[in-house]
Amino acid sequence: MSPNANTPAKKEAKAVVAEQSRPTPRKARFDTSPYLFILPFVLFCLALLLYPVVYSLTLSFRQATVDTFVSGDMPFNGLTQYQAAVADPVFWRAVVNTVLFAFFSILFQFSIGFLLALLFQVDFPLKNFCLALLLIPWVSPVLTAANIFKGLFNEIGPVNQILHLMGLGSVPWLADPVYAFPATIVANIWIGFPFNFILLYAGMRSIPIEVYEAAKIDGARFWKRVAFITLPMLKPVSVAVLTLGTIYTVKVFDLVFIMTGGGPANGTQLLSTYAYQVGFSILNFGEAAAIATLMVLLVLLLNLVQLILQRR
Amino acid sequence: MLLSPFYWVLVGSFMTPAELFGGHMSLWPKHFAFENWSVALSRLWPHIQNSLLVSAVASIGTLLVTAPAAYGIVWRKPLGRQTLMAFMLMTQMLPAIVFVIPLFIVFTKINLVNTLAGLILADMTFTIPFALIMLSAYMKDLPYELVEAALVDGAGQLRAFLMIVLPMTLPGLITVGVFSFLIPWGDLIFALSLITDASLQPLTLELYKAFGQYGVDWGFLLPGSVLTAIPAVIFVIAASRFIVAGVTRGAIK
Repeated sequence: MSPNANTPAKKEAKAVVAEQSRPTPRKARFDTSPYLFILPFVLFCLALLLYPVVYSLTLSFRQATVDTFVSGDMPFNGLTQYQAAVADPVFWRAVVNTVLFAFFSILFQFSIGFLLALLFQVDFPLKNFCLALLLIPWVSPVLTAANIFKGLFNEIGPVNQILHLMGLGSVPWLADPVYAFPATIVANIWIGFPFNFILLYAGMRSIPIEVYEAAKIDGARFWKRVAFITLPMLKPVSVAVLTLGTIYTVKVFDLVFIMTGGGPANGTQLLSTYAYQVGFSILNFGEAAAIATLMVLLVLLLNLVQLILQRR
Repeated sequence: MLLSPFYWVLVGSFMTPAELFGGHMSLWPKHFAFENWSVALSRLWPHIQNSLLVSAVASIGTLLVTAPAAYGIVWRKPLGRQTLMAFMLMTQMLPAIVFVIPLFIVFTKINLVNTLAGLILADMTFTIPFALIMLSAYMKDLPYELVEAALVDGAGQLRAFLMIVLPMTLPGLITVGVFSFLIPWGDLIFALSLITDASLQPLTLELYKAFGQYGVDWGFLLPGSVLTAIPAVIFVIAASRFIVAGVTRGAIK
């Protein structure tokens, strides 16, 4: 059913306002009602979405530091902010971290989500309740997850207690740049796996059961059915999940900001936390805006790479 | 195993810090430290009120703006609708910092910094694109013949929208409304950059500040973290079926 088929005849489509005002000649009548429905939304978009985006972009070409912000003139200075950003080694550290963070997060989120989705194709008692419980990490505030993992990875916390029981030494998880990075990735996998799980679950449900039954009759074993039916037929959903996953993961801010603040020694510094730091700790809004623009370019680049890989 | 972190925070919120991070693992509190909870609740109560107010107003505001817009865009076909939808999808790609810096500068100029109204407007930059995308998916399933029939019977556009479109899309409105509540409820970045007045700070910010220079008060932080998650947990258990349907629609269509 296409929406086009149901467009009302012009005669019937009277505008709310037009009803109250005096009748206008038929030819001049313009149906304003579609525009009245979207008016508040369009105004919001212009004032609070489009304007900030344009503002951020122009700000990245201006000198906007504490001095110029107070005086209010913020002069244009071309690509100076971008040059300053890419000249800083911390920026490149943040780029590498962001890409690795996204790659490992998505790899595990997708794998865990996929296996869970397979498991949930079988009906069992309390299935909907279990499904709901598994969504908790994703719908609860990031702050909750960040605090939980800050506790779990505490130097005398449960993770080290378990290592201890296994006869291993304790690890200074969040205090050491080398260990802090995987710790934040583990936390992010925990937050993001339910999103992958639920979309893949719904995607698997929409594969017709007859296809599986036919394969069963032909003698295909379980893992063969997964590899040759589920995976190929799930491709459109997987592509959507991976694309959204990339977009969301590059944007992650709160989790790392709360767990480590980008530290220690920039070990967990992501572009998002770095941009925030440059903006609100150093108060260099121009350079922060430039980093923000570069982040958007990185998302586009990563999606492009994904697209190329998926084509093959 | 996947839910064990949640078990830890829940049980841990009733433990004394000494027991929590003692020499060996304890899976169950020796005695329940209810004082953790009472202290946390009394300290957090003013901030819970701020969070409730901000999230409720942002959620209602989001629905008021996006419900007519989603209906208008899907069924009334205004010019420029493709551009609007494309812009909404584009905003999903933008990192929060793209909005945080301009809003901070502009809100400073027009005195909206350190006001809950400013925080609500800022939070709505997250909820509105999300709500519009999800609601449009619900609106596509609306049996438009019913709207047409009402229009033929002489109902005005507004009346048809209120009496037919809204009731028919109620499950979608509820799902989107709840998400539009949970997003501001969990927000940290806008609160952090826009609100410095301690009395106006929402729950998340007060908990974030609990990491002081003097170490961490886990006896306060863990019950606080559980408290922050309560609205989401209630919602997810009450409405798991709606979410599965809603999320898959919004994301895949």
